[in-house]
Amino acid sequence: MADVIDTLLDLPAGSPLAALRAQRADYVRYTQGSYEVLLAPEDPGGLSLVERAAAALRVAMVHRDERLVAHYRERLAAVGGGGVLPLEETLAEEVPASRLAALLHHADRVARAPGQATADHLATLRAAGFGPRDIVALSQLIAFVSYQARVLAGMRLLAAEVPP
Amino acid sequence: MKFTLQAVEWNPWLPVVDPASATPEQAAALDKSPSATSPYFLTLAHDVASLDQRSPLFHSVMYAPRGLPRAERELATVVTSVVNGCVYCSSVHARRFAELTKQPEVIARLYEEGLGTPLDARRRAIVDFAAALTQVPPAATQEHLAALRSAGLGDLEILDLIHAVAMFANANRLMQTLGEPVPPVT
Repeated sequence: MADVIDTLLDLPAGSPLAALRAQRADYVRYTQGSYEVLLAPEDPGGLSLVERAAAALRVAMVHRDERLVAHYRERLAAVGGGGVLPLEETLAEEVPASRLAALLHHADRVARAPGQATADHLATLRAAGFGPRDIVALSQLIAFVSYQARVLAGMRLLAAEVPP
Repeated sequence: MKFTLQAVEWNPWLPVVDPASATPEQAAALDKSPSATSPYFLTLAHDVASLDQRSPLFHSVMYAPRGLPRAERELATVVTSVVNGCVYCSSVHARRFAELTKQPEVIARLYEEGLGTPLDARRRAIVDFAAALTQVPPAATQEHLAALRSAGLGDLEILDLIHAVAMFANANRLMQTLGEPVPPVT
C-alpha cells in the first residue's frame, strides 16, 4: 500500500520533505503500519471495515481537513459504505439511535473534546454491541486519525514555508 | 482533577486483559510496550495489532537520536496534555522534563500561570507551536513556524516537534477516553 502521508501531502519521491521524512524511518514505517492495521486489518473482529472508515471520516471532518476527509470518503465508498454518508453529514441533527450512530457520536466527541469523556460513553458503546476489543480498536482509530491530522497540518506548514 | 508533578495512577473503564490468560500475541505486544503490567497497556492489548504498531511509533517519537532534544519533546507533550486536559499524561511527562532539565519550577509555572508564563524565546516558540497544533482543528500557522526558525530550530527538530505533538493528540485521547486518573496519595 502506498504511503498515506506522502500521498496526502502530494510529496514526490526525492523532494526535500520526503527526504526529511526518510530521516525518521520509524515514524514513516509505524505511521503507515498503524493506518493499515486500523483501516484494513487482516482480522477486523467486531468492528467492520465500513465502521472503521466511517469513524475515521468523522474524525477527519471534526478536524476540517479537506484532503483527509476526501481520503476517508473514498475509503468508505471503497469498502461498500457509501450508504453511510448521509448519516455522517447529518450527525449534528437528530438521528435515530443505532449502532452506527453510537459509533459516530463517540468518534465525534473524542476527536473534538477528549477531556469530556466519561465511563458512560463506553457503556453506551457496549450497549450498542461493541466488545472490549472493538472499543479499543475504535479508540486507537480515533486517536490515530487525530495524530494523522496534526502530522499533515505540521508538514503542510513546512511545505509552504518561504525561507527568509 | 488538577495538573500535578506528582505520580498519578490510572483506572481503566474496560475490563483489562488478564496477563495469565493473554494470548502469545498479546504477551509479545505487552513485552514490547513500556510496561507489561500497567492497566493502560493491558487495556490496549485487547487489540494487539494496533498496540504492536503504536508502541514502536511512540518510542521512536520520544527517543529517536539527534533532532529535537529530549527535554523539548517532553515539554511539547506536556503542553499538548495541558491543552487537552490530560492530567495523567502531563504528570508523567512533566516529571521526565524535570528530571532532564532539573527545572521543575518551569512546569509549576506553566501549571499555575498558564501557557503564557514568561519563557525564553526557544521554549516560548515551542510552547506556542505545540498549543496551536493541538487545537481542534489544528491552528498552527506560518507565524508559529517562523518563531521556531528564529529560535534556531532546524528541519529535523521541527519534524520531531510535529510528531511529538501529534503523538500526544493520540495518547491523550486514549488515556482520557478509556479510563481516568486517580489522584496521588498525599
